[in-house]
Amino acid sequence: MSDELDEIQAIFFEECAEGLTAAETGLSAMRDGDTSAGTIAAVFRAVHSIKGGAGAFGHTALTAFAHRFENLLDEVRAERIEPTAPTVAVMLTALDVLADHVAAAQGTMDLPDDSASLAALDAILKGESAAAAPAAAEAPAPAAPAPAAPAAEDDDPFGFEPVTVAITDLDSFDLELDDQQSESSPAPVAAGWRVMFGPSHEAMANGAEPMLVIRELEEMGGRVVGYDADNLPALRDLDPEQGYVTWSLDLPEWCEESRIREAFDFVAPDALITVERQEANAPAAFEAPAEAPAPVEAEAPMQDNTPPATGTTAAPAAAAPKPAKPAPLSDARAADHGSQTIRVDLTKLDMLLNLVGELVIRNSILSDRLDSEDQERVELPELARLTREIQDNVMSLRAQPIRQAFSRVPRMLRDLHAETGKIVELVTHGETTEVDKGVIEKIGDPLTHLIRNAVDHGLESPEERIRAGKPEAGTVTLSAEQKGARIIVTVSDDGRGIDRARVRNKAIERGLISADANLTDEEIDQLICAPGFSTAETISNISGRGVGMDVVRSNVEALGGRVDISSTPGKGTTFTLVLPLTLAILDGMVVRLGGQRFVLPLATVVETLQPEPNQVRSTTPDSEVIEVRGQYIPIRRLPRMFGLERGERRPIEDSLIIVVENDSSGQVGLMVDTVDDRREVVIKSLEENLYPIRGLGGATILGDGSIALILDVDALTAPNLHQNRTQMRGIAA
Amino acid sequence: MNDLTLASENKTIASIDEAGEMKIVTFALGDQVFGIDMRSLIEIREWASPTPLPSVPNYILGVSNLRGTVIPIVGLAERLGWEPSVIHPRSCVLVVAISGKQAGFLVDEVNDIVVIQQNAIQPAPDVEIQEANVISGLVQVPNRTKEGGEDSHSMVLLLDLDALAITRHLDLAA
Repeated sequence: MSDELDEIQAIFFEECAEGLTAAETGLSAMRDGDTSAGTIAAVFRAVHSIKGGAGAFGHTALTAFAHRFENLLDEVRAERIEPTAPTVAVMLTALDVLADHVAAAQGTMDLPDDSASLAALDAILKGESAAAAPAAAEAPAPAAPAPAAPAAEDDDPFGFEPVTVAITDLDSFDLELDDQQSESSPAPVAAGWRVMFGPSHEAMANGAEPMLVIRELEEMGGRVVGYDADNLPALRDLDPEQGYVTWSLDLPEWCEESRIREAFDFVAPDALITVERQEANAPAAFEAPAEAPAPVEAEAPMQDNTPPATGTTAAPAAAAPKPAKPAPLSDARAADHGSQTIRVDLTKLDMLLNLVGELVIRNSILSDRLDSEDQERVELPELARLTREIQDNVMSLRAQPIRQAFSRVPRMLRDLHAETGKIVELVTHGETTEVDKGVIEKIGDPLTHLIRNAVDHGLESPEERIRAGKPEAGTVTLSAEQKGARIIVTVSDDGRGIDRARVRNKAIERGLISADANLTDEEIDQLICAPGFSTAETISNISGRGVGMDVVRSNVEALGGRVDISSTPGKGTTFTLVLPLTLAILDGMVVRLGGQRFVLPLATVVETLQPEPNQVRSTTPDSEVIEVRGQYIPIRRLPRMFGLERGERRPIEDSLIIVVENDSSGQVGLMVDTVDDRREVVIKSLEENLYPIRGLGGATILGDGSIALILDVDALTAPNLHQNRTQMRGIAA
Repeated sequence: MNDLTLASENKTIASIDEAGEMKIVTFALGDQVFGIDMRSLIEIREWASPTPLPSVPNYILGVSNLRGTVIPIVGLAERLGWEPSVIHPRSCVLVVAISGKQAGFLVDEVNDIVVIQQNAIQPAPDVEIQEANVISGLVQVPNRTKEGGEDSHSMVLLLDLDALAITRHLDLAA
């Protein structure tokens, strides 16, 4: 049981993260002037879900704070409080505190001090909601709102009467159901279970949703047959946050009592819960109350065991993470919410992906072994097409918009503003770019470091900026785009740029380079990624621990990507992360080198040449170039780089030159012995059981069970700085 | 339900602790006999040449395919600073789990699986190898299959797999 609970709890925290992201997006949009009903409702839903889940798991501090936050959001949603800029600012701060509360509930940080934020929330609530309260009390509305209303409420909180907003959506929906039930089919009861359920008064405040319980019972085949609203106070005394109603439900005989009781697992112990066995035709416990408001005729009465159409319930619940209701959201968000979703354990997806990978390999083995006539006869091309489609689909399951990684940035910038006083404007592009989930998880930390660096080191103080004739607020641009099989993520600032003289001095001081080293600007820029390098004059809380950029580089390289830096003094710095689109399957060329097989990513291959004897020239004893149609291309001898050289050097005429190209170093010729074939390979990481090795993108298992190493062309063709590093690595490991 | 399984697991662990026994697998490396905790052992495989890796320390002989997973093969002799093992028909690879990762160790010969008393483990004196802490202790085990029935014992060096730090990497640790 405790394991299951942990699992559910883990899902809850996952949902919290999603909720916080959604709220962040919504509040940011509100700050930028989008105060549409849909946006406000999205934020409300997010915070409400967090409160609900937190209550169920007994995170009282989190529940209490979320509850107060939600109160304000509810008022804003009902248009009783206007989402002015100061109000939104208070809510953004509250969101940060809420995030801290979630972290505290997770045990990753201490309980935050929320008093300031609470005071600010309350101040707004007291200032304006007082006017709304009397109106609610006077409204001569029935205890239950009109049944057709709940679905509309969330979509259009404006056209609704004040009192109905005060009662939460869920309650009103329940009452609606009850009314219909009691009117349409109060009588014959088959043998089964009679369940009475009266949530405790504090149920709402604790985040326990009676609706969830009732829905669960309904899913077991139960239905609501009546309710007892005797405790319902007069309207003016009604506290919308309290539970007053006791429901009675009938469940079919075949339900197990233990399962019925399980439905109440998360209900506070002081609730009224009775489960009784009933014989056939026993009289119903409740008569339909005569004074019940009339339901709308057009609504079909609930005849069978069908659970209520969840699509029409407006408020979210902890157990229903993605409301199916279409809301007037921005395009991207509508896509998220519009479709039904299912939560799948990531390891299951990975397993599926692995299997599909094996399928792809089998496919390519088949096409290797069959001649084209036989391939046609067994319809191999069709099978290959299907396999590819399955593969694409499975890959897309793992793909997530990069927005997830970007979403924590605004919060960080607010914190940084508080710490440094620097005013930062964030511009983001391409947040919908879809990236493998594994990549998103692993670029979070590098992005954090880069943003902190950009603000701490890159941007000048406001005074400095004004002196330099720049706008007071600095701009940090975060963008993502897909380019072929790569994802390009850039973080740029319009700050002072890299102070190369200072970097150089520091590197000499730290013994990273010799005093007379002759370095290009690019090489100097790369030095800031060297282990143990930090130019911060004082060690600040934000950066300057001297590990940041090194971590960025090693994390990105572990993903098979790389970091490019470009900087213009006085204008700013841009960090470009070049990441692989997928971590799993690669279109490759199998080559042989010194008896060993390697895989070269096909995407990088430009052409394969059989060199003529005098086409290759030595420039220095250790470097050669090949002339290709009048152009000289540097050649790398892989065996030498890999230390695989044994015995005689192969004559050039017996080798093949594969010209590869990448963004950073242009075209380079790699010398190999022969080319075996072309095939799709499943990438197996080396770091799973070892650690990443520079020059290798991983390994793959060939059809005969042997292992071939995948070459990382970017690392192999990169300038010599990296070669030294390779050697360093060998020693370090 | 889960409570039950959890409880029974705990019980098993507890019973081991109470008895103070542990199972070790012993193997020969040169003239020495080593032992590792049986619980880290995944399987024993015949030697097959691994695929060599570039720019790795000499004791990482390469990588092998273990049912679809790529695992490093480590020359344990080289790792401990001795002459590399010579491959012969009884050479084999011990596949072990070290803090969540898997690795294969090339050893000269697998000897036996023996039960030892934990309180019989003696602390390792300064063993003459590069790093002292890779030997977690010494223990005597009776020699089996020796003719004559006379009680002979041999010394087994217990290896601390974690301390071997095969899969750790400076850059990642930073």
